[in-house]
Amino acid sequence: MPGADPETGTARTVVVTGLGAVSPLGWSLESLWEGLRAGLTAVGPFDRFDHSGHRTHIAAQVDLASEPRRARRRWKARRVSNADRFAVAAARAAVARSAIDPGGCRERTGVYFGSSTGGMFESETYLETLLAAAGGRGRPPAASLLASQQNNGPGDAVARDLGISGPAQTVSAACASGAMAIGDAILAVRRGEVDVAIAGGSDSLCRLTYAGFNALRSVDERPCRPFRRDRAGLSLGEGAAALVLEPLERAMARGARPLVLAAGEAATCDAHHMTSPHPEGRGAAEAIRGALADARLDPLEIDFVNAHGTGTPLNDAAECAALVAVFGDRTTDLPVTSTKSLVGHLLGSAGALEAVATILCLLHGEVHPMPDDGMSDPGIPLRLVLGRPLRLARARHALSTSLAFGGANAALVFTRHGDHDAAR
Amino acid sequence: MTGLGTIGPCGHGREALAAALAVGKPAVAEVDRGAGLHREGGARTAALVGERDLSRFIAPAAARRMSFPSKLAVAAARMALAEAGIGATEAGGPRVGVYLSTTFGSGQFTELLLRQVLLEGAEAAQPFYFSECVANAPAAQLAIAVGARGPNVMLTQRESGPLLAVGRAAQAVREGRVDRALAGAVEEVTPLLHALLDRFGALARPEGARPEMPRPFDRRRDGFLAGEGATILVLEREDAARARGAPALARIGWSGAAFDSTADVSDWGDGHVPLAAALRAGLGEVPGGVAGIGAVVSGASGARRGDRIEARVLRAAWDGAALPPLLVPKAVTGEYGGGILAPGLLALEGARFGPTPGFVEPDPEIDVTPHRGAALRAPARVLLTGLASGGGAAWLVLERTS
Repeated sequence: MPGADPETGTARTVVVTGLGAVSPLGWSLESLWEGLRAGLTAVGPFDRFDHSGHRTHIAAQVDLASEPRRARRRWKARRVSNADRFAVAAARAAVARSAIDPGGCRERTGVYFGSSTGGMFESETYLETLLAAAGGRGRPPAASLLASQQNNGPGDAVARDLGISGPAQTVSAACASGAMAIGDAILAVRRGEVDVAIAGGSDSLCRLTYAGFNALRSVDERPCRPFRRDRAGLSLGEGAAALVLEPLERAMARGARPLVLAAGEAATCDAHHMTSPHPEGRGAAEAIRGALADARLDPLEIDFVNAHGTGTPLNDAAECAALVAVFGDRTTDLPVTSTKSLVGHLLGSAGALEAVATILCLLHGEVHPMPDDGMSDPGIPLRLVLGRPLRLARARHALSTSLAFGGANAALVFTRHGDHDAAR
Repeated sequence: MTGLGTIGPCGHGREALAAALAVGKPAVAEVDRGAGLHREGGARTAALVGERDLSRFIAPAAARRMSFPSKLAVAAARMALAEAGIGATEAGGPRVGVYLSTTFGSGQFTELLLRQVLLEGAEAAQPFYFSECVANAPAAQLAIAVGARGPNVMLTQRESGPLLAVGRAAQAVREGRVDRALAGAVEEVTPLLHALLDRFGALARPEGARPEMPRPFDRRRDGFLAGEGATILVLEREDAARARGAPALARIGWSGAAFDSTADVSDWGDGHVPLAAALRAGLGEVPGGVAGIGAVVSGASGARRGDRIEARVLRAAWDGAALPPLLVPKAVTGEYGGGILAPGLLALEGARFGPTPGFVEPDPEIDVTPHRGAALRAPARVLLTGLASGGGAAWLVLERTS
């Protein structure tokens, strides 16, 4: 049967035993949760590169100077991108929290990461220098300056750093990359392809995406306001998140405390338009239904949703339509939040960071809020969590959604450990 | 596997590719070096798609909204679907997934957008370039073109990506997650990308007045030949293919992956032992084990360290036994994902492979001799290999159906 333990023939229950994150709210999981709980956005003025020629001038950037000193020393004279640094820091934190020993099972450990631009920021600097040299200004840059430029850079950096020799793969499905990578990891652990999966995503701010989203008029001049009537676009962010996944039996056998169950995953495609979502959220609804079916849950059992919620008029409307299609009348009573309202859109890492945020909400028994600085939209019949955390001490099952450029959709379902019905 | 579509430097379709492989001569063209980005004495040629008119596959109105890699992917997919006997009205649906791989995505559009941003100012950026320069654009355009509403996956794992993508697609079909998958690889070479690869020391270098030659496994090898194109396969369950009367071209016998953590960011490493262990363990699941492999369609490309670890992995996996014939199609097609996929199927079908271009003198350090052009019997199984710079590794076994 699909997803069966090769030895017992039964489906392997996959649990999350470690989490790590680097975000505009800081270099630790604690700073992330503290910031999410506070509900204050990290989107604001930024100085990573010159954006004076753009229409907008805000983003949520990671404070590079706050990177732990030991890590900074490690990277000295190494060809790594910002996205690599974020990824390795998040993965190291997740591994430390899980207390696994990657060296002890390196051939049975896989890395599944998502990224949409990898080391593009560093590549831009390289290219700028090269173009200037071709125009007679200055010397060509040293090839060694072309840092880990491709999208596989962050995932490979994690695999290299942990010394694993199992599979490594990077998904580049734009804004759904991180969630799809986690979905792949769930399947790999479930089917017994690996015993441990390090899954997540990483992306950094770069001029290409900043200019591209501005050219599309998809960026708000103010911090994004997902699902609000006056929403006018997304806010870009950067960072990384990582999860350690393993079979429940393995975690219990080594005395680890599972944080949550990675209960369900699904991915679909709108097959509709490169930049606009299907207006009825058809593909997103199919992804949500698929993830619920994979988790063997009824829509009634989902306690809250961490939505993709970018803040663009079309995306939020389509996602709302998808939620209504799946949850029906219950939509008005189902708490919904958007992590992007606080840390911006992390693109290829967004799904991973939002998975971590979803899990933190389950663990803490409360849903993090969005800033209450917009106007309610009568066309969005969602129960948004605004201003302050929503206490949901009994929340058992949560859904996280990701919707991407090109129509790729992914949905993940997490279940609090101990609330899983083993007979399912 | 019920359909193959391939468009590359050798032409459109499997026949053109088979003819080029039979001759064993790299399909090269001069790269435009007029922008002054190349270094003196650097590589001059690449395996470029010559027949760029794809209007037979894509209507001009639709093509206008696509980058070249997106057009290649859609065209190759339509070619594959036609071979599989799947009409346009039945090609898509919620149970059809797309699993592709690329290393650089749309190089041309990325470069155009970056030039606008870096040289002309932020507001010069054109939105169309941006939407097509995301790596997953070819997969998304393919899904839109055929209405594929299942998972839409673009993997970026350099040279191992194509085999990962096909392996993942095969798993999805096998597990019933999709009924059909369109899987493969797409790549584009632009003058800028060519210049960057050359500056990085990745490409074979000219020998005096003679243009560069990739020399897989040869003692004098010094880099690969950049290549572009697309190869798309149609995968479906064997019983489903039979039920609709479609002949199965090949069966995916096994797929596996590993990582060499000794590899540098942009080079190959020395960790052949764990890679060989993973390969050998995987081949243990194939009838006959390593002895059941009739030919290896190697991802070797002429890269100095890449070919070395490829040879060492194979030697260690075969554990002293004689290696089967070692076919090296990237010496003909250039380094791109389709450079391994389509020749893998052709090898299984008993296509003739000419001598490995550029191979003259074995490298005593690795002691491997690639195919020299002798006639081969159609093997029951072929192993496709893809070891990536940076550490990724993937393998695929194709086997003949009854």
